[in-house]
Amino acid sequence: MTPESMDLLFHALASRVRRKLLDLIKERPGCSVNDLCSEFEVSRIAIMKHLRVLEESQLIVLQKNGRRKEIYFNVVPIQLIYDRWTSEYSAFWAAKTVDLKFLIEDEISASTKQKSSRRKKPHE
Amino acid sequence: MSKSQPATTKQIHRVVIEAPIEKVWDTLTKTDAVLPFFFCSVMKTTKLAVGAPVRMRSPNDRTTGVAGEIIEFDPPRCFAHTFKFTNYDDPICIVRYELKSIEGGTEFTLTSENVPVGTKTEKQMGSGGKMIVDGLKVYVETGRPALIARVIGLVNALSGPFTPKRCLSSNWPMDKKVL
Repeated sequence: MTPESMDLLFHALASRVRRKLLDLIKERPGCSVNDLCSEFEVSRIAIMKHLRVLEESQLIVLQKNGRRKEIYFNVVPIQLIYDRWTSEYSAFWAAKTVDLKFLIEDEISASTKQKSSRRKKPHE
Repeated sequence: MSKSQPATTKQIHRVVIEAPIEKVWDTLTKTDAVLPFFFCSVMKTTKLAVGAPVRMRSPNDRTTGVAGEIIEFDPPRCFAHTFKFTNYDDPICIVRYELKSIEGGTEFTLTSENVPVGTKTEKQMGSGGKMIVDGLKVYVETGRPALIARVIGLVNALSGPFTPKRCLSSNWPMDKKVL
């Protein structure tokens, strides 16, 4: 991966809206721009702009299907980041560490949910 | 987002490989050689042409991990075959490799279609797809297998003594129609 494409990739990821877009696209392979716009309160033009940044970084792939444009998440750039900084050994222990973090945090959020009637979204 | 989930899904994996398109094509369609980007298995076929059977076998030929039939073969642009993991009962899907010459290299796209949602095939396709695309990139660019340690585990699992009987190559002869 060239330094320039790495820059594009991290720029694309350094936005809350674009990360949210990736979440949605990953969940719904082949979704349309309209599907995505309905999830946000910003303008369609703004969403299109974000999608262009994601496409330039190769995090999404757009495909024409008749008159419809389908959007797909492409995980490969993230795998390339992962491969750059992880080794077989560190991947194993890092995964264990993250599993422990989520396990404990989920337990805490489950017990606070029981206590309070107002529910919060776990990730923002 | 009101539409219900389709019964099948499509996954796309894309990467730019810093190599000429012919090199990527030759590496991708190599038969009878261990493919480090494809879980160290060997692609076997009777002939690289539409309609021919394709099998992904262990280097010792004992087991067959994937069975299918070639449905598109257009060098050096497109290669597609049907695809079934021999250890699952899931319906057959399609894997398509598309190559495009671009500035600075080749754009390589792996698309898996008709992948049944919520099955083991879907899960394995997702993790397998990115490993193949990533692994092919490193292999073509450097000549060295990437992530070798990671895939070795898979190969051992496939060729080891605990391989399910249904994955034995004797159960997947070339003339067997894969449905």
